[in-house]
Amino acid sequence: MTLSSTRTVACLALCLLGLGSLSSALDEEKGRAILARKILIAARPGPSVLDNGVILISGARIEAVGPRSEIEIPEGYEVLDVGNHWVGPGFLDLHNHTASDLRSLNDTVYLTNPGLRAVAGALPDNPAMRVALAAGVTSVLTIPGSGSNMGGQGVLQRTGFRGFEANLIRNPGSLKLAQAGNPERSQPWTPRRSFMNYNTRSTFRRGVAYAKRWSAFEAGTGEKPERDLQFDIFRSLYKGEAQVSTHTQIHQVVLMTVTMVAIEFGLPVFIDHGTFDGFRAAPQAQAAGVNAILGPRAIQPPIAGFIDTDGAILGVAASYQERGHTTIGFNTDAPVIPEEELPLQAAMGVHYGFDNSNMDAIRGLTIVPAMTVGLQADQGSIEVGKYADLIVTTGDPIDPRSSVEWVIQHGRTVYDTSKERRRW
Amino acid sequence: MHIQTNKKTGSLRAAALFLPLAMGLVAPTVAQEDEDPADEWFVLQGGDVYTGTGAVLRGASVLSKNGKIAEIGYDLYIPEEAEILDVAGYRVYPGLVAIESRGLFGGSSDLANSVDPFSKNMVLALSAGVTTARSGSEVAKLRAGHIDGLVLTSGVLPGLSYSKSNPSGKRTLRQKFEAAVRYLEAYAQWEIDKKSDKDLKEPSDKGVDSSILRYVRGEARPVFSASTRTDLLEIARLAQRFGFRPIINGCQEGWIVADELGRAGASAIITARDRSTKSEQLVRTGGSSIENAAILHRAGVSVTIIPGSAGISLGGIVGRDLMHLTVEAGFAVRGGLSEKAALDGITIEPARLLGVEARVGSIEVGKDADMIVTDGDILHYQTFVQWAVVSGEVVYDKEAELFFAHIRPRPEGSLSPEERVDAGETADEEIEEDSDDSDPPEESGEEAGDEGDGDSRP
Repeated sequence: MTLSSTRTVACLALCLLGLGSLSSALDEEKGRAILARKILIAARPGPSVLDNGVILISGARIEAVGPRSEIEIPEGYEVLDVGNHWVGPGFLDLHNHTASDLRSLNDTVYLTNPGLRAVAGALPDNPAMRVALAAGVTSVLTIPGSGSNMGGQGVLQRTGFRGFEANLIRNPGSLKLAQAGNPERSQPWTPRRSFMNYNTRSTFRRGVAYAKRWSAFEAGTGEKPERDLQFDIFRSLYKGEAQVSTHTQIHQVVLMTVTMVAIEFGLPVFIDHGTFDGFRAAPQAQAAGVNAILGPRAIQPPIAGFIDTDGAILGVAASYQERGHTTIGFNTDAPVIPEEELPLQAAMGVHYGFDNSNMDAIRGLTIVPAMTVGLQADQGSIEVGKYADLIVTTGDPIDPRSSVEWVIQHGRTVYDTSKERRRW
Repeated sequence: MHIQTNKKTGSLRAAALFLPLAMGLVAPTVAQEDEDPADEWFVLQGGDVYTGTGAVLRGASVLSKNGKIAEIGYDLYIPEEAEILDVAGYRVYPGLVAIESRGLFGGSSDLANSVDPFSKNMVLALSAGVTTARSGSEVAKLRAGHIDGLVLTSGVLPGLSYSKSNPSGKRTLRQKFEAAVRYLEAYAQWEIDKKSDKDLKEPSDKGVDSSILRYVRGEARPVFSASTRTDLLEIARLAQRFGFRPIINGCQEGWIVADELGRAGASAIITARDRSTKSEQLVRTGGSSIENAAILHRAGVSVTIIPGSAGISLGGIVGRDLMHLTVEAGFAVRGGLSEKAALDGITIEPARLLGVEARVGSIEVGKDADMIVTDGDILHYQTFVQWAVVSGEVVYDKEAELFFAHIRPRPEGSLSPEERVDAGETADEEIEEDSDDSDPPEESGEEAGDEGDGDSRP
């Protein structure tokens, strides 16, 4: 694209943005009432489905939700009856790379790089994300790659608005830890697990010590430490304001996620991938409160000499569930799987044996990832006080046949197939 | 009720038409007349039969004789020696047809001589409902366990290229069509003129491309791989000018020129999830659209659906290979294609493009008894194929194979094909043993090697 056309497009976009925010400001003042045959509440713990329900939206947040017989629609509210369509919470993918400049994915300075930030390459408002939005993915955790044991900090972004600032949810969103199964190949030598565990542990030890020095200073019991950008993320982790998102897979490695990060250092951490025979560590993960965000692999066939399944092709999510794990979500690792296929990841989990009788598949795309990164007060389910991040679908939102007709983010319409061509 | 049909011309529609006639006038059934101890009879009994080209028959039965469908309907006369599979509560669909496949048959080319009927991928494709697939220029049935009766036809989908990226190739092809048409015109004129002048020499077909001649005569259909609107438009115009019906593989921007393609009588082979973005330098519409299949279908273009990968992938990533053909069809529905058209796009439409529609692609009397039995809507993500039947024989049984028996095991009481439903007969012990395999494997706690570390994820 030429420079002049970029300017034209930018100018056009600004003009449109101006108009858009004007009309949505009017919407917000008025308040909205959405009537639907089926509303997926997706609270955890709590109800999953509400039939013939109403959602009241005031400003950016949900004001009320309940059966039509119980909710009175205030005067002046815009009433939108979506008929037989379903309404559900927007999806959150905790493993995304495509809302960023992919070229800086595996920047590496040191053996561990907790100071690098994915936000430097953040590009939330791009064509791939506009398609993701049309699939109902309203927020993503964009993280660095797994080129070193610590690739850097992730950033939580929305997908519905124009520009970076409007889409920023939280930075840092996470610290990307890659315990094994990729960092090996990025070094001229081939580090193995004893080295990688040592490497990871020593950085955690220094990082936690750094965070403790700052906490002491803030509590008035210590001197002001020197600021070190390499370790600042550990202050967020130590306070529980960000989590460790862990590229971890294979039984022993997942076990090490639980024992080292969660138990030894007491940091908030979740399994991200968890594939191969990682499910064997599901009971320990469940006991330690380590959530499992699984994918993009959805099945595990037998591998001679490595994973013996007696010939069975195992479902990854089903295997965690069978071993008692109750906090399971799904990811795409986009672009490995295109972001718009996040709901399909849940559907495939169900196909390969994940028990969906309590609608845990939809929770695995909404409230579970929201809880996992500490956003459950703001999003992940249709409950009073949360942001109105809603998707309207023609049916079961994880069924590939169902299309997303309408997306609302923070109470504003951000995608509407009655006004524009279907993107997905 | 007893539906009876003429085997030579019979189709379900014909069966429905002649039903009153058959009931009223023909007392002894075809089955009884034709009984021969050597005949192999097989019945799928009591399922909801989705015939594909005809009606949906709830709780109906399909009787096959020597691998061909003999009768479809209710209260059929079942020969005593018939093997019966009770599928009450299940759905019966025609076996799926893959317009493209890789690695299912264990051989590469010359399938008749290279097939491995015990290939794991063949079983996995059957588990996904595929009973017929093209491999290269051959079309074969997934008749697991057999080394004969697999290959249906060969020399299918002859390819042509007509693209603006190869202007001289375009000119050459156009000239070939012109030559073929000139020859046919001259021949037609000669047929008229020779009546008055018997010594008139027959026009020579020297230099006329014999395959192009077949396309112009409508004896075969060429396939083009094309996706940009420019190429698609060029192909549509070429086809309209020379009167052949193109098959277009890819066809990503087909939705933009759908009317032209419809007028050209084109057929499209589509991956519903194909993604290409439009050039930002152009104002006009462009790129892929999830609505592609639906828009083309509305414009009269027949739509065949194939996933992005035509092989069987066990790397762990799912949903995009031939094991998930129905998922791809589901995405076409998302874009607005009707469920019926989506199912046609993985059954009868590909069968037509491959020229095997008289044998497979729908459940009709006289066709091969190639059917799948599912535990739900074939396009629903939770559905599993429980049995696959090829040439009137169960070649896949979910409970009997190791791959998926542990996932939502079939409830006890579901009968296996070995069992007869004759009153008083008890279940075969072997079958009970098979169903024990449904337990998930125990944790074995074996040491994992480093082989699995090779994760290629970024």
